[in-house]
Amino acid sequence: MFEAQEINAEHKDLIHDVAYDFYGERMATCSSDQYVKVWDQTSDGKWNLTSSWKAHSGSVWKVTWAHPEFGQVLATCSFDRTAAVWEELVGETPGPGERGTRHWVRRTNLVDSRTSVTDVKFGPRTQGLQLATCSADGIIRIYEAPDVMNLSQWTLQHEIQCKLSCSCLSWNPSLSKNHPLMLAVGSDDNNPSNGGKIFIYEYSDNIRRWMKTETISSVTEAVHDISFSPNLGRSFHLLAVATKDLRILSLSPIADNANVQSGLYKLDIQTAAQFDDHGCMVWRVCWNITGTILASSGDDGCVRMFKMNCINAWKPVAVLKGDGSHVANEGHRSSVCSAASLPTPPVAAVVSQTARYIKLGTISQSREVPWH
Amino acid sequence: MEVPCKTFVIPNELCRRAGLAGVWAPLNEVAVFPSHLVKAHNPDAPSPYGPSNASVYKVRQQVILFEPILRKLVNEANGTFLSVQELISNNVLDSKVELQKLSCQYRSIIRACLENLQDEAMRDKTNYKEELQNYITIFYSVECVWHLCEILFVENIPGGVVLPHLLEWIRFHFPKYERKAATLLAGDLVGIETHPDYWQTVIGSLMQGRIEVVRALLRLHSAGDSKPFKLVDQALKAMPTYNIYSGVSATEFNLKWKHWLVDTQSKIDAKLFISEKHLHLMMRLSVGEETAWNEVQSHCEAWYELLAAWLVFTEPTVKSFELGQFARRCIARMNVGLRMRHLDYVLLAAMEADIIQVIKEIQQMSENGWFVSHLTDLLYHAGRLVVLDNNPESHLVGSRLRECFLLDYGTLLMGHTSLWQVGLSYLDHCPTEGLKTIELLLPRLPLKSEARTQKIIREAHKRDLPQIIQSICKIQAMNSLKRGHLGNALTWGIKSQDGTFTSLLADKFLREYCKNGKLLNIDLLDSLGSSMLISDRLIFLGKYFEFHKEYRSRNYKESANLLISLLSSKLTPKYFWATLLDDTIPLLECNELIMSSLDTFTLLHCLQEKSDLPELQDKIELIRLGAARNLSRALMYEAQLVK
Repeated sequence: MFEAQEINAEHKDLIHDVAYDFYGERMATCSSDQYVKVWDQTSDGKWNLTSSWKAHSGSVWKVTWAHPEFGQVLATCSFDRTAAVWEELVGETPGPGERGTRHWVRRTNLVDSRTSVTDVKFGPRTQGLQLATCSADGIIRIYEAPDVMNLSQWTLQHEIQCKLSCSCLSWNPSLSKNHPLMLAVGSDDNNPSNGGKIFIYEYSDNIRRWMKTETISSVTEAVHDISFSPNLGRSFHLLAVATKDLRILSLSPIADNANVQSGLYKLDIQTAAQFDDHGCMVWRVCWNITGTILASSGDDGCVRMFKMNCINAWKPVAVLKGDGSHVANEGHRSSVCSAASLPTPPVAAVVSQTARYIKLGTISQSREVPWH
Repeated sequence: MEVPCKTFVIPNELCRRAGLAGVWAPLNEVAVFPSHLVKAHNPDAPSPYGPSNASVYKVRQQVILFEPILRKLVNEANGTFLSVQELISNNVLDSKVELQKLSCQYRSIIRACLENLQDEAMRDKTNYKEELQNYITIFYSVECVWHLCEILFVENIPGGVVLPHLLEWIRFHFPKYERKAATLLAGDLVGIETHPDYWQTVIGSLMQGRIEVVRALLRLHSAGDSKPFKLVDQALKAMPTYNIYSGVSATEFNLKWKHWLVDTQSKIDAKLFISEKHLHLMMRLSVGEETAWNEVQSHCEAWYELLAAWLVFTEPTVKSFELGQFARRCIARMNVGLRMRHLDYVLLAAMEADIIQVIKEIQQMSENGWFVSHLTDLLYHAGRLVVLDNNPESHLVGSRLRECFLLDYGTLLMGHTSLWQVGLSYLDHCPTEGLKTIELLLPRLPLKSEARTQKIIREAHKRDLPQIIQSICKIQAMNSLKRGHLGNALTWGIKSQDGTFTSLLADKFLREYCKNGKLLNIDLLDSLGSSMLISDRLIFLGKYFEFHKEYRSRNYKESANLLISLLSSKLTPKYFWATLLDDTIPLLECNELIMSSLDTFTLLHCLQEKSDLPELQDKIELIRLGAARNLSRALMYEAQLVK
């Protein structure tokens, strides 16, 4: 039912983040080996490494693409206390690659943080080019490039003190008259007595400041990742939280309760779903484009997918798990690693012109048995 | 709807040791890679897993619908789907009849697809054959379930007399006896009974209720004129069949039926057929004798084959709603309760009129939701999902159920390079979340070529999504700009209708002119027209180009007017003042008088205002001198005019 294509990422250590561009045609990876790599998909579906550079002098935690309206732009953040913005330059003369010669240049190095920068995310496209970072010492910074044609100029617009060490942040993608700019920040502070670990900030147009509208008190364990769901026209927002378990929180603005000064609404926060399927700590969450399926990663080594069904309840639908022992049995190995220096028969060489997919084996056909 | 949760294996050792992380990739793929949580406070050290060959796995659902051989199914079903939607929106009075026709159309699409698959499977000699066989199995089940659902849920059966339809269904899906009978009749008719299949065919036809075929075959038997054969022929001829249109009421029919049973039973008891064991069996079957049925039921491939046969001779007036209990009885009779396949469960659920169960089950049919979305849509429009809305216990609502499936199916197709427009047409018919889903997915389609981009823009336009068009145009403009195609970039910028963005592009032109003294893409600038109104900077660029044009065609008066209006327009960018003022010199120094005193005052005023600009310093004296000389000329000329 599922098939997979292997792309040897050529990193020398574990990968911390993989980010796809707006169209899913380009892939950026970053790793503890301090490198960032960019991969491009050819028209026949193969992935080629087109750029690789040492981006930081510490582990690179996150990599993220800006909206293509701003060109080919990446942001990274690292243990080396910096965040950086990179832009791809396309050479005048068409080079050997499909898109001509190209290379990435560092447009700016954001050095305001005194500790590891743990997350970096571009803001909603309608707001121009904004970048939010958060760091281990609990400071959230919002940068802006006032001239989108000149990405070497970034101004630090806002600095928000969060008190607790920040591990992750997420912009709310739904923006409208009713929804001001919203950021959620999670903290991996381990002490439950320090209270809630998720903070909601909203930007007040009235006073031109970011205000903390909510501390989510229902989550007191360390939070490792958070992500707002794309909004399909709902009046409330959904926030996925990776903590000791997987949570999905709903945040609904309380209509008749606006703050006089800021014009911001209080939020009613409910737990829409809570899953202990990982059985241990969850540290990564990711929504699909339409916000119908949530993928989570946990210390059980699995990626689990949860889908919203038609009565708006979330159900586990699939689990992905690494297992090297199946490689030999299925005899796919030689066909999979075309990059390895195994002697490949000529037939396979011809076939490897196009992208290869391997069918994924299943472990349990648990039709009747409910997942627990 | 519940979907079973399966575990899939990524065949990679590092992924097992370190653990997996997953991110979504547009549109319907997940990328997983070996990773584990590193806390920000820990010292930054190489992980215990490195140095290693970390791979990213792009995982996607296997979509058989994207197979070229099934493309026709996808496209043709889309046509029928759209006909269904049109029919409903037109509020036709007897939409039931029309819906049934459309249901038939769906079935004939499946049939065509099956035939196509079978042809291909016959021809294919490679590994693909197995795959094709697999598809045949899937779509055979789909056809079988669809047909039954059509009979039970879409067709308007008068009085609920379901048996004739059920027989038709069974005959269609178990055509073996019909085929055999045809071969027999087409072959050597003399000594037909010596054919090994003869009796099997006769009894099989009897069980499918094909009385005429049975009689024809019996007449051809070499002993066809003997007494037992004659008697059987008479009995079968006299056997009443129930028909709602015959004007015979159910009670009246039952009376006739009982009479026929008693009559036939008495003949059996009189051992009139005992000499011919096959005829004897047939007659015992006709009166529903348990032992006789026990003998033949092993010939039935499926419980529902037995069900139809059993009903012909024991419950000819059976109503649709009674089917479930008889189905269960047949399953028990054949003792297949523990060996039920997926298809069996679906059919049983359909016979028990448990539509929700049917829908739940057909989600598992591994044809990627083609079946469940089309059938649910049809059942919804046939008014069959109303039961859900009236059931306070379940939170299911018919319209929501339909929309969920259509959303999934539409989203799936949106992920395909050439089926995305088909996908859109499904999302269009999702009243609550369809448009929002389109808004999220449409801009994600890669803008691979100009033609494709235009197509995407047209689709956005059709659905009144200007923000998407704007974004696409801006992306195209940015791409052109990065490749150094300034003219192209401006064209897209203008299309985007974004003033700020277009200003930035117009700036690029003006700066380029300042640097090289050349205006690029003059064809484009010449044809700007009213489109320049979206941004001040673009107006300036357009007007400045016009000034150049007039000057080159030696319309100095016109060009001077344009220049003066630009000078006084307050649109001039700071970096362009020096260039603009510099442009006045040739006009001031012209042989004939071009600028009036008033014009010259305007110029001098601007000059005074901008006198601090550093890049102007080496020219300012020259311009002042020219202006002064022109002013004197102009004043004298104008003084003469006044006289």
